Amino acid sequence: MFDLNPQTVKKLRRFRNVRRGYYSFLFLLGLALVMVLGELVVNNRALIVSYEGELFFPTYTEFHPGTDFGFDYDYEVNYRDLETRFEQTQSDNWVLMPLVPYSPYENHAPGGIFKPLPPDLDAQHYLGTDTTSRDILARLFYGTRIALIFALGFMLAVYIIGIAIGCSMGYIGGAFDLFFQRVIEIWSNIPFLYMVIIIFSVIPAAFSVPTRIIILLLVMVLFSWTGMTYYMRTETYKEKSRDYVSAARIIGASDTRIVFRHILPNVLSTLVTFMPFTVVGAVTAITALDYLGFGLPPPTPSLGELLKQGAANLRTAPWIVISAFTTLTLLLTLITFIGEAVRESFDPKTYSVYR
Amino acid sequence: MKSVTQLGRWFVPAVAALVLGCGAEDSGEVEEVIDNTAEVEAAYAADPDYYSFKTIDDLPDDLVWERGGDIPEMGSPEANKGGTEYIALTDFPRTLRHMGPDSNGSFRPYLLDDMAVGLVGVHPDTNEYFPGLADEWAIDRDNTTVYFRLDPNARWSDGVPVTSDDFMFLFWLSRSDYIRAPYRTNWVNTQYSNITRYDERTLSITVVVDKPDFETRAFLDPAPRHFYSEVGDDFVERYQWRYVPTTGPYILKEGDLDKGRNIVLTRNKDWWAKDKKHFRYRFNPDRLHFNIIRDTAKRFEAFKRGDIDQMRMQLSEYWYEKLPDSDPDVQAGYIAKSFFYNRHPRPPYGLWMNTAKPLLDDRNIRLGIQHASNWQLVIDQYFRGDAERLDTPQKDYPGFDHPTIEAREYDIEKAQEYFAAAGFDERGPDGILTNAAGEKLALTLSTGYESLSDVMTILKQEAEKAGLELRLEILDGTTGWKKVQEKKHEIHLVAFGRFAAMYPRYWEHYHSENAYDKAFLEDGSINPERQLKPQTNNLESIAIPEVDALIETYRASTDREEMEQISHRLLEILHEHASYVPGYYQPWIRIAHWRWLRYPDFFNHKQISLPTETWVHWIDTDLKEEVQAARKSGQTFPPMLNTYDQWKEQSE
Repeated sequence: MFDLNPQTVKKLRRFRNVRRGYYSFLFLLGLALVMVLGELVVNNRALIVSYEGELFFPTYTEFHPGTDFGFDYDYEVNYRDLETRFEQTQSDNWVLMPLVPYSPYENHAPGGIFKPLPPDLDAQHYLGTDTTSRDILARLFYGTRIALIFALGFMLAVYIIGIAIGCSMGYIGGAFDLFFQRVIEIWSNIPFLYMVIIIFSVIPAAFSVPTRIIILLLVMVLFSWTGMTYYMRTETYKEKSRDYVSAARIIGASDTRIVFRHILPNVLSTLVTFMPFTVVGAVTAITALDYLGFGLPPPTPSLGELLKQGAANLRTAPWIVISAFTTLTLLLTLITFIGEAVRESFDPKTYSVYR
Repeated sequence: MKSVTQLGRWFVPAVAALVLGCGAEDSGEVEEVIDNTAEVEAAYAADPDYYSFKTIDDLPDDLVWERGGDIPEMGSPEANKGGTEYIALTDFPRTLRHMGPDSNGSFRPYLLDDMAVGLVGVHPDTNEYFPGLADEWAIDRDNTTVYFRLDPNARWSDGVPVTSDDFMFLFWLSRSDYIRAPYRTNWVNTQYSNITRYDERTLSITVVVDKPDFETRAFLDPAPRHFYSEVGDDFVERYQWRYVPTTGPYILKEGDLDKGRNIVLTRNKDWWAKDKKHFRYRFNPDRLHFNIIRDTAKRFEAFKRGDIDQMRMQLSEYWYEKLPDSDPDVQAGYIAKSFFYNRHPRPPYGLWMNTAKPLLDDRNIRLGIQHASNWQLVIDQYFRGDAERLDTPQKDYPGFDHPTIEAREYDIEKAQEYFAAAGFDERGPDGILTNAAGEKLALTLSTGYESLSDVMTILKQEAEKAGLELRLEILDGTTGWKKVQEKKHEIHLVAFGRFAAMYPRYWEHYHSENAYDKAFLEDGSINPERQLKPQTNNLESIAIPEVDALIETYRASTDREEMEQISHRLLEILHEHASYVPGYYQPWIRIAHWRWLRYPDFFNHKQISLPTETWVHWIDTDLKEEVQAARKSGQTFPPMLNTYDQWKEQSE
């Protein structure tokens, strides 16, 4: 089992005592779980189809052409139509659809015209549809999932680079430190937004959508890792001059051991408190880029794109902007609450006597 | 020597800018003074075949002079002058020049195209000619020459009379390298062979190519000789923000250009043509006030507030939802909605496939794409039936468009048959077709029209049913255009603006010369080392010897009937080639305008592409006050919802 440091246990307990942050954390964790299994909740593929005595679970499998279920077309079967057909024919066949039976990409226009529809429980468009009749809830759901995955990936990459370089600067010091400080100063003065726009405009669309999202992530990381190095560098400098590091060195510990076993664990609290705010920053950045049209390639569902649509249809379809805005605010508030709780519980001033 | 002058060209304006801070408008004072009189005269003398000077006695005697007899007058006698029209531009003009880099922007119609009076006008209802700068003209069909006698009253906006020299100079200017407009220079060099000055008021222009409507090419807008006396190496910078005198009704006054913010054009009360037939009832507002509003949604909000006077409502979303007939402002009669059927060659919205790209070089794939493009769904569900399916790219060139060709219908089975014939017969796990090598049937569909991004997603979804994956790339206008001009696209959704002309042009889109550098070897076989040629309009990279031959005959032809036949044949070949998926067209214009902005009872003339281009509307200033007062008091007027279908196609 985990052999947690009593200090860490203490911090975690303090975190649990910050109610607001702790419940936000639980809520977000629950949401994340639902999102991991999102295809079972929001999808136009059925959960279970019972057809001619055989059970199908199409959610994660290969697509079924319409001919598999007695339709005359061989593109992907429309499970909602299938459900209606089974109901009408009174057969033993049945379909179990997910809670929200729409994919974020399909245009579903009950009136035959692509236009925003207000929320409609009967049609199971719980938050209405957007300008091309795509379900808003489905787009919000997957948009949030992509934004969160994107933000987590962003945070990991930024931390790995930031920690590696910041720590080396602090630990090695000297010319290496001086050199990298200058590099970072220059690098961090390149305007981030322009670079994203320029780089993204030359990426050919021939790449698939996931590739383009990864490229966007890399570009954003490329221009965001510098912030982390400042903290890591100062923290490492500080810890390096402590007695316990000198002691470790005297008994012959290697540099690797000193960095990984002694210094890093001691600067971890600084890092942890930054994490939620990095996530908030990443979600905001990707939403802003999408809003400007330079973010995730269409037709990827995204919060920014919905906000943009909402702003353009403020008068005629207020439900678009309301749901997108509420989701974004809620998400960012939750993460910020967690961040504040983490910061509070990891605050060294309340328990440390060394400083 | 060249490098010294090159350096000077950049250095002089730079110094000027330093000395004067940002007041670049006055930089002429410190710029080196140029007088190109000697240079121009030397050029005239050096090319006497092109620039001829004769006397009035040399004028042929047998000319039949025309004066544009009794044709219906343009505009409405009801129109009254006055008021200010508020107009929104999407971008601030990058220059006030009429030629050279960046001059072909969206503001140019207000500076030149819609405003300036040319030699002879073409009536938009009947295609008959009426006098402009020329009082009289004579067409010499045998020598493809048109003779003109200028109106003695014709004046530039700065008071200088318009003379034959201004036309002579137009040719010199267009042919000079200073203006840095190679397309224009090439056009003038290849389309015109002579200009002759007989006296101050009399001139003739000779066109190279004999066409049924060759004379329209001689109906030119002059260039003010006195204004362009400083044209030299630094033309582009020197004339960047200088307002060119005009023969038209509106002028830019000193201080009315606030860079990046707004522009005001003022009606010239002493305009020489103000009482002339076909001009007197047009160009009515006293002032045109231009603001910059980049975003369509914002432009609409500004319109709704009354900050701008009229707005086009071509998109269904605006016509039906943002400003429905039931809108309070419409119901109260404050805002009018006008629906006008026009007749104008239609912009060929559709999918242009670059046949030089892998996969798209296979005709089966192209045919599959034809049947996998569900334009009918776009028309029915996105445009709500307010559009028609295009069958050929040359719609509304009467006689020249093919009478029977029909666009291929959306048919998943046919599409899959063609894809299978090209080797794509297996559906992958995501439903996309793959071939034996495991290659996916995926192509990029790009566009520069952000407003059509919804159309793109519909096409994508529908193509997926046929097993074709379209990867969408929605770019801003400039980037999208650059992409196709560099021929980097696979499939591109775009349309070309069409001029009101008698016959369509084929050379620019379909001749091999515009597809590749040296497409074929001497013996007619395909040049294995040919390279795609950038910066041309042959977006399909079509290089077919038979088409080349037809286009060449077509270009040289003077016989309308023969041209029509060739046009039909070309459209048949292109239809078989299947590299263009015809999209949609809208045979009408619809706009919303405030009640005080009035149009004639017939709304507008037949062959227009924009309702504003004829300038037949006017601002009723009394009514404006009345409407504004009524908006405050809640008083209402009868709603104005008008359809003008006098030019509607009968078959519809």
